[in-house]
Amino acid sequence: MMKKELGLFLLLAVISAITGAINPAFLSFVNLLNMANLIGLFGVFALGEGLVIITGGIDLSLGSMFALLGVVFIDLLTTYQVPWPFALLLVLMGGLALGGIQGFLITRLKMQPFIVTLCGLLIYRGAARYYTSDSTRGFGYGDEASTLSNIASGNVAGIPNTFIFLIILAVVLGVLLHRSVYGRWLYAVGKNEEAARYSGIRTNLVIATAYVISGGLAGVSTVLFVFYTNSVSPSSFGNFYELYAIAAAVLGGCSLRGGEGSILGIVLGTALLQVLQNLVNILGIPNSLNFAVMGTVILIGVLADQQLQARRRRKAALAGLARTAPRSRETTILQNASPRGASALPTSAGDQA
Amino acid sequence: MVTPHDAGLAVLELKGIGKEFGAIRALHGVDLRVSPGEVVGLMGDNGAGKSTLVKIIAGNFPPSHGEIRFDGKVVHFARPIDARAIGIEVVYQDLALADNLTAAANVFLGRELKRKLGPFALLDHKAMAARALELFGELRSETRPHDLVKQMSGGQRQAVAIARTRLSNAKLVMMDEPTAAISVRQVEQVLSLIHRLKEQGVAVMLISHRMPDVFAVCDRVVVMRRGEKRADKAIGDTSPEEVTSLITGAKEAA
Repeated sequence: MMKKELGLFLLLAVISAITGAINPAFLSFVNLLNMANLIGLFGVFALGEGLVIITGGIDLSLGSMFALLGVVFIDLLTTYQVPWPFALLLVLMGGLALGGIQGFLITRLKMQPFIVTLCGLLIYRGAARYYTSDSTRGFGYGDEASTLSNIASGNVAGIPNTFIFLIILAVVLGVLLHRSVYGRWLYAVGKNEEAARYSGIRTNLVIATAYVISGGLAGVSTVLFVFYTNSVSPSSFGNFYELYAIAAAVLGGCSLRGGEGSILGIVLGTALLQVLQNLVNILGIPNSLNFAVMGTVILIGVLADQQLQARRRRKAALAGLARTAPRSRETTILQNASPRGASALPTSAGDQA
Repeated sequence: MVTPHDAGLAVLELKGIGKEFGAIRALHGVDLRVSPGEVVGLMGDNGAGKSTLVKIIAGNFPPSHGEIRFDGKVVHFARPIDARAIGIEVVYQDLALADNLTAAANVFLGRELKRKLGPFALLDHKAMAARALELFGELRSETRPHDLVKQMSGGQRQAVAIARTRLSNAKLVMMDEPTAAISVRQVEQVLSLIHRLKEQGVAVMLISHRMPDVFAVCDRVVVMRRGEKRADKAIGDTSPEEVTSLITGAKEAA
């Protein structure tokens, strides 16, 4: 399992080294901090998306959630002058609630995650545009929530707070996914929901919780993005961001079939995506090629990973054959059919294959 | 060796079990006794009522008529978890394992061992691996706790599924077609696993279509047809030919 993450890390290091060699500005302190900020911003909700993907589902609604929660958040702070702790709480609750509704539709009403969250994407975006009459919302010249603004977009000793948030959340979710019973169940549910249910796991609850966590992290990301851009235009804010998260998760080793992936992988996947975007700028590649570069790297990455896995499987299968082949076995089954009773069974035979 | 049908306490006793789904009568008047350490083969054609009977015993749904006694006490199951709580385990045909997890993780799935770390409960990998290794040892299986299930042979997967039932010290294990989808060589391993269970005093109900397997491990064979029990004979008193004719209906009852 760690092999994948190590490979990804090496890829990240090699790409960074080459880019840095071509243009040293890439490795400049300012550029690195800028990238760290973007990795933090895009990593937080990629973690949630990763959990959902591990259940075998998908969350397409994240970008639209940012828009809806974003305009509501700014409106609460500016128009209604709600104290920022309450506004923050409401936005986080809003994210959890939207995730909860999606989780409910998917687990209780047995709708497909793709459809539920696609409709979420359309509905939240539409609601955000209707709510604002398609106008951009931003902070006035007042200092509404300057404390929160400092927390969300400030830095500690130069390190962007967004990046620090990502690290903290990654550690918390890493423990949850890899060390806790919930994480174990999440993997089991993602691979074989029926088996998990037969084992007495409340699979609906496990799956719905993943969507709730994803929604909650979308709430956190909304606040971070709002203070990053300082304004929200409801028709474009967060557009396609869910695809960044899905790309990061897949690049990080999550399988869309569920049951696979790791927190470290998702963080590294996010980092790689941001490095690629940055590299396009730094190396003077036309900006219009941005998405094309990203797509190509993901495609090659996933392809290479699959080929490597297939090769490993073939090797393992060959090794397994070599281990069992020399052992000669009597045809005990057929002989056992005629003499009745269990006493005819060779009691010494364990399963040695 | 425990002799079948002895006067001892039955682990499972069914009396007049019947089940209707609307107008359809799936089961009618089934009586059955299973003693500790006894292996009972449950045979019958598709739709004969085997699965319905197993599902009733496993607590998937309640019977319309009759009573279930387990360890001498009348029991009612609302959910499968109730049946499991008193010691009835089912090994499903498709094994119900999570391929992406290790053998130990599958053995403990849903019943994970935890260790407290302040307010948090984390997985106790070490304890689970050690206990799983013990269980595989009891089954004389060479399955390694840290191996991923997806890399295992059919026989090893069966060992994992059966180890699950040993974890809870189940008194009755029902196995649904355990030898249906695996190679001939691995069938032998599975049958010897059933033998291990028997040695430890576990009652086993083997639901199978494979006549040789039933005659190799079972003490007794029960034949179902059209929702009724048509035969219940010690394996020494019958033959594959007789059982076949009972299953197909060429012979009405024995």
